[in-house]
Amino acid sequence: MGSLTIPHVHLLLNHVPTVGSVAALGLILLALARRDDHLLRASLEVLFVVALATLPVYLTGAAAGTAIEALDGVSVDAIRTHETAALLAFVWMQITGFIAWVALWQGRRLPHLPRASVGAVLLLSVITMGLMARAAAIGGEIRHPEILVGPAAAAAGAPTGWLTSATIAEFVSQYPWAWPAAEALHFLGLCLVLGVLLAVNLRVLGAMKPLSFAALHRLLPWGMLGFGLNLVTGMLFFVAAASQYTENIAFLWKVVFLVVTGAHFLYLTVFSGTWSLEVDADAAPLDKLVAAMGIGSWVGVIYWGRMLPFIGNAF
Amino acid sequence: MAILTWLESSSLSTWVREGETIWAFPTILTLHTFGMGLLVGAGAVIDLRLLGIGRRLTVGALRPMFGVMWGGFWLNLVTGSMLFAADATRRGTDPLFMTKLVFVAIGVSVIGLIRRNVFDAQEETAAVPYEKTLAALSLVAWTAAVTMGRLLAYV
Repeated sequence: MGSLTIPHVHLLLNHVPTVGSVAALGLILLALARRDDHLLRASLEVLFVVALATLPVYLTGAAAGTAIEALDGVSVDAIRTHETAALLAFVWMQITGFIAWVALWQGRRLPHLPRASVGAVLLLSVITMGLMARAAAIGGEIRHPEILVGPAAAAAGAPTGWLTSATIAEFVSQYPWAWPAAEALHFLGLCLVLGVLLAVNLRVLGAMKPLSFAALHRLLPWGMLGFGLNLVTGMLFFVAAASQYTENIAFLWKVVFLVVTGAHFLYLTVFSGTWSLEVDADAAPLDKLVAAMGIGSWVGVIYWGRMLPFIGNAF
Repeated sequence: MAILTWLESSSLSTWVREGETIWAFPTILTLHTFGMGLLVGAGAVIDLRLLGIGRRLTVGALRPMFGVMWGGFWLNLVTGSMLFAADATRRGTDPLFMTKLVFVAIGVSVIGLIRRNVFDAQEETAAVPYEKTLAALSLVAWTAAVTMGRLLAYV
């Protein structure tokens, strides 16, 4: 078995956001047609997981582009056009995943998911699916001449518009305060996520037993706020200076732990083992294990993030 | 200043600064980041609760979070002192660093006040009228301290 390269990971994962958003949208429509609240919750959970899986897809794309841009017959414009389409689709995917999470969090205390949030998720997931399909189609044209009918999308030349990696890199170099300001926010977000994950998970582990889990559930949006803040600021770093991260072993580990933390937030939001923890009740050993792993996942994110310049090669 | 020069040239400072090992500067800086997360993160949870988030959370039950905060505080006092010693002549005369320390001092004092006036007094009195002010002050002080600490890497 050959070793797995980053471009290979991109090829392995890159159908997940496209196929996943179609599947999730189909499930949502089916659940609404059947008036099945359980299925609706499950479909929003699928959507959140797809949004999470989109993270490594986008982040491995830069390395895949670098690996093939010097090859014969590969157009750099085609790669840039795909990258720009992927960034737009990524942003909408994350917004959709976040609103799906909000609906699940609100719905935890209610017999049915709130209609307004579900409506918003439905609309967003239609947009996301379209943008994701477009990004995937353009991506396919980079190395699959057999699918082309007429000129490739890249024939239009290098991408324009405000949301491209070039404009973001330019913004960061034009305004020297942008990077440090984003770093400060990134560290504040780190604190918020750690604080919330500690409070909730230490309760599951047996500290603060006078609190029910349902009461601590109210803190989760603040943790997700920190997580979202760090996703936005982190993407600014990545998009503006991708070469620091694409061949950086610390960054790869950071992304692995990040996906685990995201999945842990979903677990804390919807799983019933912890939700039913009443005042003074003791959690099941498996839930305690998951709680410890949840704290550990964020500790891993902080460790690998901090080690980006030391174990990895970021400046 | 002579004392800063002396501090910076000590063998510990030299090791932290120049040690060709992951255990020197990288690990000490990483531990300092963990300490920050524990102190500021656990503090933020208490502050948010005092500001009215999650009213079903019994304030007194959050007491173990103070243990987390003090753990972070002592870790950062030790690691922060080491990082300061390694770069004493520059940091010792840096107004940004001094301002950061002022905000850390305010933050730690406010934690002490919240502990004494809100948590320890909980049994006798229902709620302290100025608890929201203390919580807001704590959030502002720690936001400023973290921001300035982060900016130290760029100035």
